[in-house]
Amino acid sequence: MKRLLLVMAGLLLVFSVSATVFAQGYETMPADAKIVELGVEGSGYEVLEPGVRGGIMYTSTFTNPKKWNSVTAHETSTTVYTNQMFRSLVQRHPLTLVHEPELAKSIDVSEDGKTLIFHLREIKWSDGVDFTADDVVFSFNDLYYNEDVETDTRDSLELPDGTFPVVEKVDDHTVKVTLSMAFRPVLAALENGLIMPKHKLAQHVHKLNPDVPAGTFNEVWGFGEEEDLVGLGPYIVESYTPDQQVVMTRNPYYYVYDQNGAQLPYCDKYVLLVVASQDVELLKFRNEETYAWACRPSDVPILKREEATKGFEVKILGGVFGTLWITFNEDYGLGEDDPAKDQLRGLFRDIRFRKAMAHAMDKQTIINNLYNGLAKPQWSFVSTSSPFYGGRESYGGPVTEANAVTYEYDLAKANALLDEIGILDADGDGYRDFPDGTTVEFELNTNAGNTLREGFCLIMAEDFERLGLKVNVNFVDFNTLVTRLLGATLYQAVVLGLTGGVEPNDGANVQGSCGGLHFWHYSGCDEPYEDEKRMDELFDLAASTMDNDKAFEYYLEAQKLFAEQSLGMVFSVNQAFTFSVYNIVGNAEVISTYATPTNYRGLTWDLVYLKNQ
Amino acid sequence: MNFSRLRALVIFATIVALFSLIAVGYSVAELEAIAGNEWIPEISAAAGMALGSSYAETMTEAALEELAVNGPTIGQRTAAGAALAILYRNKTGEELLEILKGTADPMIRAAAIEPALEHLLSITSEEEGFSLADYLKDLATTGETSELRLAAAKAYYIVTANDATAESAAADAAGEGELALAAGEILGGFYLFFPPVKTQAELEEIAVNGETEGLRVAGRDALASVLINSDLTVQELQTTLTSIVGTQSAEFRDAYKIALATRFSA
Repeated sequence: MKRLLLVMAGLLLVFSVSATVFAQGYETMPADAKIVELGVEGSGYEVLEPGVRGGIMYTSTFTNPKKWNSVTAHETSTTVYTNQMFRSLVQRHPLTLVHEPELAKSIDVSEDGKTLIFHLREIKWSDGVDFTADDVVFSFNDLYYNEDVETDTRDSLELPDGTFPVVEKVDDHTVKVTLSMAFRPVLAALENGLIMPKHKLAQHVHKLNPDVPAGTFNEVWGFGEEEDLVGLGPYIVESYTPDQQVVMTRNPYYYVYDQNGAQLPYCDKYVLLVVASQDVELLKFRNEETYAWACRPSDVPILKREEATKGFEVKILGGVFGTLWITFNEDYGLGEDDPAKDQLRGLFRDIRFRKAMAHAMDKQTIINNLYNGLAKPQWSFVSTSSPFYGGRESYGGPVTEANAVTYEYDLAKANALLDEIGILDADGDGYRDFPDGTTVEFELNTNAGNTLREGFCLIMAEDFERLGLKVNVNFVDFNTLVTRLLGATLYQAVVLGLTGGVEPNDGANVQGSCGGLHFWHYSGCDEPYEDEKRMDELFDLAASTMDNDKAFEYYLEAQKLFAEQSLGMVFSVNQAFTFSVYNIVGNAEVISTYATPTNYRGLTWDLVYLKNQ
Repeated sequence: MNFSRLRALVIFATIVALFSLIAVGYSVAELEAIAGNEWIPEISAAAGMALGSSYAETMTEAALEELAVNGPTIGQRTAAGAALAILYRNKTGEELLEILKGTADPMIRAAAIEPALEHLLSITSEEEGFSLADYLKDLATTGETSELRLAAAKAYYIVTANDATAESAAADAAGEGELALAAGEILGGFYLFFPPVKTQAELEEIAVNGETEGLRVAGRDALASVLINSDLTVQELQTTLTSIVGTQSAEFRDAYKIALATRFSA
């Protein structure tokens, strides 16, 4: 009954509010269609199956979108929709995670890796207009490289030497991309460049149309402009009701088909209910008002109780991308000529101290108490799910952890290391002292309101106290904390997290000695340690080779080096990816921590189908 | 409210929560025949649970409320209650709270528990220092009716899920009142995935001999999941239910009842 009401409400909305007019679509499958062979051996889609078309897929979110402009969007509350409307030249396969041609039907790469020729599919935008090389050149040269356009994508396209890939039209369906240097992650970089419709957007770009003021493009495609949206992806936003729902409808000109000739996406519509909170998302899922939801680890006990009776599955998969760590500022008080700060900085710079801290991290207690057991110890700056993760045998190989550099929870070892440094409890007050008699004491900060991080700090502080280290735990405003972290010499110790991805080079701004997020040792840019020099070399080597296997070897050395000699970040645990989905959803097996081409909460939208159609 | 009455409420709340949306596998006529025979109450109720979604589509709210209170068998009353839980989702938060606080038959009030959760989770206040968790915890102990207290307790454990561990859920389930019952439901979830995962034998032992009602509820819910995922057929589940009438514990029998209802619906 509820479902019926929702469907009826959705239909009413379609007919009463939306002015979107969709073209009829292809008369026959285009010659350049992308065919996904679901369930076929060797396709990478072995675990999936051809589905049936029809039905409405319901999911949820607890934040409203900000606009529909993909180029200027910073927030996932917007990109969740724009990532469905637009596509890039290449995308990662949702299951193998290997880059493959997307809007391009094939790619020719020169031997030196500096020239890439993209042969484009002859397909149409959702309004029936031809997609051509002009759209690609426009997207890069007039949008992403245009300083008048506010976009984060520009940073991700920049090469290590500060240049950008040069994008040129060869003919209507061929584009040449030229690099100033060999850059293996070029496909990952180009994947960020979603292609936009020149015929719709050029008029709003000051560079191309001086009649409009500078910055005009940044305001394009706001709310109320849904009828103007045109894309190449599986779904286009059809209507939006704030705090209620976003309705996306199938793109009649989507170029992807299954092996039986069924045009994707399978579902007619995709509806995201916009609810008040994640707790309400939980209720909506329990009521089957939504069919899939990236639940939190804390929801798992609630959902596990009901999964058998209600006909859904709670999937507990590999780790999420991203890290949680503690860092000690090796530049604390640098240049201030303050003996007390010099003393503490000297301690933080001693690798034996950081190893002692690693041995003092009770990861199992953290996993049990903070994550309901749904996490694993983490030792590397590369996410477990990445094919470059050092716990693998080879690029993309099985995770065996044979190469893992771990520090078991062992307070005796930690104590021995601290004793070796020479900080002992000289006055018998239970706390260790520096040689000058002052107590070893430091602040441990994290952002207030993040209950996981707060809990992590408290567990760590307890063990630090057992080691005779006086620790003052502070929960501070996130922005204040970040300001301190980036302030080079200001903070003492911090617990925070970083997002991650498949390609370790995306983290070059953290591991690189001159990186903007090399927050534990910014002075390393001018006076790098030996291990930092080698890290820089390894990252350059890994980025410059076009061979993933070679890159894996470089990154493996970098991960081991960091864990053995740097420990600029002492990693804690990697949270499992938890996802709940009703059994009526077909091809839910595609769910992964990095399912693409959606990059949103695990599902690949165009492959999912409803079994009850 | 005495313990047996409270237990009956919890059983019904579980029915509402678990069977308000699944489709009917057996024909409606077959299920109605089973639900109309109260010789083995658990089998009758299991059929009623499976009938809920069908009744929600074919009967009016008034007719269901009449059947929930005055239906001649437990199966028929259960079917009406499960159906009402579906229809009540269209009521406002105020309407649901009115039902929960009111003097309607407990079967009616129980049907409002799950639908009221969304409203309870959205309660806000301009009062300085207001904490939703504290408010719900207080309501779970001081609410006018047992059904209101149970709804508040369930909402409380959703709001505080981030703080819950297997240990804390076990400690809370060992307590008394509606908070303990709601904690038992959470604990049942932990039993199914948190290492060491409980075996069927361990769950049976908890469902039968758990020291408190909250612990037995945890055993019941987890055992029901294990039974559903087993190869046991409708026939085998019915045979077991027939052989344990009035024995073991209500929670143990309920686990089999829930499993049977799921088979009826498959």
